[in-house]
Amino acid sequence: MKCRNVQKKLSAYQDRELEPREQEQVRNHLLSCRACREQYAELERVWQTMGGLEEIHPDPWFYRQIVRKIKEPREQRLFPSLQWVPRLLPAPVIVFILLVVGILTGTYLGNILAQSNIFLLHYEQTSETVLNSMRVFDPAPPGTLAEGYFRMVSYKENDSR
Amino acid sequence: MDNLSSEELMAKIAEGDNDSFEILVNRHQTSVLNLVYRFIGDRTQAKDLAQEVFIRVWQAAKTYKPEAKFTTWIYRITANLCFNELKSARRKKWFQFLRFDTDNEIHGEKDFPDSSPSPEDLLLAKERSRKISDALQRLPDNQRMALILKRYDDLSYQEIAKVIGCSVSAVESLLFRAKRTLQEKLKNYEK
Repeated sequence: MKCRNVQKKLSAYQDRELEPREQEQVRNHLLSCRACREQYAELERVWQTMGGLEEIHPDPWFYRQIVRKIKEPREQRLFPSLQWVPRLLPAPVIVFILLVVGILTGTYLGNILAQSNIFLLHYEQTSETVLNSMRVFDPAPPGTLAEGYFRMVSYKENDSR
Repeated sequence: MDNLSSEELMAKIAEGDNDSFEILVNRHQTSVLNLVYRFIGDRTQAKDLAQEVFIRVWQAAKTYKPEAKFTTWIYRITANLCFNELKSARRKKWFQFLRFDTDNEIHGEKDFPDSSPSPEDLLLAKERSRKISDALQRLPDNQRMALILKRYDDLSYQEIAKVIGCSVSAVESLLFRAKRTLQEKLKNYEK
């Protein structure tokens, strides 16, 4: 077995997870190869160091607290997590919600103002006002510089005749 | 009743037997609590999550089928809760600007015990534990979970694969990479 292959299998060898034949092959290689043996020793040292991570112990009232949580009404258990909802919502969702609420509120208030006549937003539409308002689509709507120019030109044309 | 297997206790819990549930909790609380603690790195969060695991066990008792070993099943529930917790913690971190309170860190300061023989020993043990925990926390979630299950719970590759929900060869690869990373990180910090 080559060193490269052995080094790939060292982790599984350490965990005794190789096939018995492979396990034996790696073991024999380690006996004869110093470099791989040192690498394996390093792996073992780290494994031992990992044992230094502390173990914690449950409180004496661990079980009682579980029972209390089980007996709590579901709404109460859910309530603390609901407090996180606004914080969890991504910014685009919040912006979208604010936009929709804004549009709906604006539309609603606009309708109320239009119906209540406070700002004279509602006025009778005669055929004349309708015709006047349609003139905004003219090439030169009334009251614009273009209209003044057209008037001037047409006046000159009429005058020359 | 203490002699009953966890699977038999689950059958009794399904019938509403609270005493069986208490025995089951007492039997598995330390291993579940430590699995969560080593994975998350925060004592308070670990306690809450471990309790949540047992609440899920209680709720699932009626539908529980002893197809796999009980420990594999409960570790699977634990692992899923841990992964979900971290996902939601990361989400919270991303959108922290939406928070109105002042707790800034998701995991905050890591908790370590303050009961040790001498102040010097305490300091060394604390420092060692912190260093190992830091190195562990830097591993990707799957690698960290596989490593904890192997190192501290001595699960086989097949059991780890069932807990994490991947293949045995994937577990082998996860552990290989996790050990290599830890070797680098803890090179100058061996006993």
